[in-house]
Amino acid sequence: MGGTEAPRAIPAWRTALRWVAARVGGALLVVWLVATIVFFALRSSGDPLEAILGGPGSQAGPEAVEAARREYGLDQPLIVQYLLQLWRVGTLQLGDSYARRQPVADLIADQLPGTLLLAVLALALAWALAVAGAVVSTSARGRVGAVVNAVLRGVEVIATVMPGFWLGAVLILVFASTLGLLPATSQGSHPAGLVLPVVTLAVPIAGFLAQVSRDALLEADAAPFAVTARARGASEPAVLLRHTLRHAALPALALSGWAFGNLLSGAVVVEVLFARPGLGRLLQDAALARDVPLVIGAVTSVALMYVAVVVLTDIVELFVDPRLRGPRPAVLRAPDVAVGS
Amino acid sequence: MARYWTASENPSARKRSLRRLLPALAAGAAALLLAGCAADAFDAPSTAEPIEGGTLVYATGDAEPTCLDPHVGGNYPQALISTQYLEPLVGRSPDGEILPWLATEWQASEDGLTWDLTLRDDVTFTDGTPFDAEAVKANIEHLQDPNTGSSTGWLAVQQIDSVEVVDATHVRFHLSTPKSALMEVLSQQWAAMQSPAGMERGKDENCLAPVGTGPFIVESWTPQDRVVLIRNDDYVPTNPQGHDGPAYVERIEWRFIPDAATRQAALASGEVHVIDNPLPADIAAWEAQDKQHIDAPRPAASNRIELNSAQTPFDDVRVREAFIRAADPNPGIASLFHGTAERSYSVLSSVEPMRLSDESVFATDAERAAELLDEAGWTDTDGDGVREKDGATLTVRFPVSTNQSTAAEQSLFEQIQANTGAVGFDVQLEPMDLSSWYGALAAHEYEAVSAPYTTVGPDVLRILYHSDGTIPAPSGYFANNAQLKDPALDALLESALATTDEAERADIYTQAQRIILDSYTVLPLYDQQNHFLTQGVEGVEPLTTISTPLLLNARLLG
Repeated sequence: MGGTEAPRAIPAWRTALRWVAARVGGALLVVWLVATIVFFALRSSGDPLEAILGGPGSQAGPEAVEAARREYGLDQPLIVQYLLQLWRVGTLQLGDSYARRQPVADLIADQLPGTLLLAVLALALAWALAVAGAVVSTSARGRVGAVVNAVLRGVEVIATVMPGFWLGAVLILVFASTLGLLPATSQGSHPAGLVLPVVTLAVPIAGFLAQVSRDALLEADAAPFAVTARARGASEPAVLLRHTLRHAALPALALSGWAFGNLLSGAVVVEVLFARPGLGRLLQDAALARDVPLVIGAVTSVALMYVAVVVLTDIVELFVDPRLRGPRPAVLRAPDVAVGS
Repeated sequence: MARYWTASENPSARKRSLRRLLPALAAGAAALLLAGCAADAFDAPSTAEPIEGGTLVYATGDAEPTCLDPHVGGNYPQALISTQYLEPLVGRSPDGEILPWLATEWQASEDGLTWDLTLRDDVTFTDGTPFDAEAVKANIEHLQDPNTGSSTGWLAVQQIDSVEVVDATHVRFHLSTPKSALMEVLSQQWAAMQSPAGMERGKDENCLAPVGTGPFIVESWTPQDRVVLIRNDDYVPTNPQGHDGPAYVERIEWRFIPDAATRQAALASGEVHVIDNPLPADIAAWEAQDKQHIDAPRPAASNRIELNSAQTPFDDVRVREAFIRAADPNPGIASLFHGTAERSYSVLSSVEPMRLSDESVFATDAERAAELLDEAGWTDTDGDGVREKDGATLTVRFPVSTNQSTAAEQSLFEQIQANTGAVGFDVQLEPMDLSSWYGALAAHEYEAVSAPYTTVGPDVLRILYHSDGTIPAPSGYFANNAQLKDPALDALLESALATTDEAERADIYTQAQRIILDSYTVLPLYDQQNHFLTQGVEGVEPLTTISTPLLLNARLLG
C-alpha cells in the first residue's frame, strides 16, 4: 500500500460523516425533485379523476364523480394536494393507487423483486461478457491479436448501439417463433423465461463495459507493474488475476452505477416486450392512467435504488482500488446526483 | 409441467441444437436454460382430436383491467374477461333479436315505462347464492350506486327508477323515460349479473374476484401476468348460443401480453392457444397457413372519422363534403389491412341489422372537392399548397390516440392526410396518449377525430349524435364528436327510444342515419376490428352481443 500518511487535520469519522450526509442529502433532493416534477407533469396533462373512474372517457354519473373527488381529496386546492403528496412521500406512506385501489407500497413491493432480479442478472451477464471480451483480446497477441481486437471493437460498438426493443424482437423471432427453444414471454416462475429478457438487457451494457475495460486491460498489460510481475516469473493467468484484471475492472466498476440505472429504465421496454411483470410496466401503465400516487411511488423507489447503487459502487471501488483509500478520500469527488433515470 | 414451447419435430434434435446454443450464452443464463429444457413440449395440433379438460391459455393485447368487475368503470378489457364468469340477463342473435339467458321472458308496458321480466329458477351463483329477483335488484342498484363508479353499465340502467321484486322469479323495472333499447343494453357484459353476497364484500374484494353464474370462476389474479379461471362444475347451461353441461376445459390462464409481435410468437410457438388484437399482417400470414382466424366485428358504431361541425372550417357543409370527397381511404384500407378490414359506408357496424349503408355519399372526387372549397371561399392565395380564407389557413387538427388506433390505422390517417392535402387541407395528425387525447377533445382542440364506441344496438346513434351528447359529462367526456345539433335528428332518436315496434324503430333509424350521412360530418372507415387467432383449440366463439370470445364451448386439441 502507499507510503504517504493521511493528513491529521480531519478525523476519519468526520469525513465519513460528511460523506454519508452528502449522500443522504443528495438522495433527499432527488426524491423531492422527482415527486415534484411527476406531480405537476401528471396534473398538467390530464385529470387524475379519469384513473379513479375506470379510465379516460369515463361516462360515470355526476354523483359518482363527486364521490370520487371527495374521496381522493381532489376538491382541495392544487397546492394542498401537492403538499399532501409530499407529506405522504416524506413519511413513506405512499397512499393508494387511483386506478388499482391498492396501497402503492404493496404494488411496488410486488413488482420490485422481478425487476431487480432482471437488472441484477443482466448486470452480472454484462460483466461476464465484458470481462471475457477483455481477457480474450489481451490473450491473443501479435497480428492475430490485432485482428481479434478489431473484431471485438466492432462487436462492442454494435452491441452498444443495439436498441433493446429491436434486439428483443429478433431474439423472440429466432429462439421462440423459429426454433421454439425458449418461451416468447417471461411470465410465471419458469426460469427459462428469463433468458431472452436478460440477454436483451445485458448486450448493450456489455458492449459498453467491454469497450471501457478492454482498453484498461490492454493498458495495464503493458504497464510496468505487469512487466515486473512477469519478470519475477509470474504466469500469465497469475498476472491477469492478481494485477491487470483488477486494474481493468475499475473504470467498468465506476460505470456500474450508471449501468444499473440504465437497466432499470430499460426494464420498461423489456417488460412490455416479454410480457414480464415488473416495476417498469407498472410505471408505464400508471403514467398512462395519470395514476399520480403510483407514479410518484414507483419513480421515487427507482431513484432511491439508483442512488443506493451509486453509493454501493463507490464503496466497492474503495475495496478494489487501494489508491482511493489514501490521503484523498472518496468523499471529495463530485457527488453523483441524478434526477430520474 | 409447464408447456412453454412447441418442440421442433423430434426432441433429440431440439436438445442437440440447444447444446450448440449454450456456448453463445453466459454461464448464468445457461443454467436457467437447462432447467427450462426439462419442461415437456406438446405436439403439433393439426391432426389432433378434441379432448376433455386441460388448461386453455388466452393472451390478450388489450389493457389489463384494473378491476375484474365490469360494473366498476366499464371498458372492453373487462368485458373480454368477464364473459367467462359473468352472464347477462339476455343475449342477442346474429340478426339482432334479443334471446333469453338468465331472464326467460320480458314484456314492456304500453307506455314503455314498466318492464316485467321472468327469471330462470334453476341458476345459482358460484358462491351458492341463488339467482333470483332480489339478485337482479341488487345488481341494478350496484350499477347505480355512485360508490361503484360505473360508467358504461350506469348508462345502461340510467333510466331505471326503481326495481320491484314481484316474487323470486319475477322482477319489474320502473323507468323514468321509455327505453326500447333496454334489453339490448342489458345484454352487454357491463350490466351482467353478479352474486349479491359477492358485491357485499366491498369494491376492493369484489374487484379481485367477482362471483357470477358463468362457466368459469375467478381463482387468482397476478397483476401484469395472468388471471387464472377454473371450471364451474355446477354450471347450468343457460347460454343462448347452445351448450350442455359444464365447460370442456378445466382451467383458463388469461395472460396479459402487451406486445403484438410477442403475442403472435407465443401463439406460433404453442405457448398460448388464443390471441386477440393481432396485427393485420399476422392475420394474413396466419390465414395463409390455413390456421383459424375469427373475425368478430364489434356491434353498434363503425370506426369512422368525425368532423367537428361546431367550429371553422367544418361548420361549412361544403368544406366537410370536400374533405370526405378528397379523403380516398379505400386504397389505404386495402393495402394496410391486408384484406382483413372491409370498407364501411355506414355509421353503424355491419352486424347491426338496422344499418343504412350508402356508398354514393362517400364517392371519391378530388375535382369536386376543389370546386367545393373554391365555392366556400377557401383559396390558395400564397401558393404554398394550403388554402386560406380571411387570414386563416385550412387547418385540420386531428388528435390520434396511440392507445386506440393501431399502427395500420395511423398509417391510414397519414394517407388521408396526404390525399386531403392534395386539395389544400393542412391536416395536422397529433399522436397522443389516451388521457391527452380525451383532454384535446374536451377542450374542443380538434377538427377531425376517430373515436371508437362499443355498445349493442342502433341506440348508439343517440349516444353519438343527439345534441345532448355535446354536453360534457362531469368527467369532461362527451360522445357527440361531430357536434351535430339537429332538432329533427334529436326528435327521431328520441322517438326511436320510445317505440317498441321493431318495424317502426327500423324506419326511424333509417331516417336518422340519412340525416347523419347527408350532414357530411362522418367518414365511415370499417367495422371496429375484433380478430382472434387460435391454435390447438376449437370451439372458441364470439358472443353475438359485444363480440367478446366465449370459451364455454372451447376444446383443446390433444
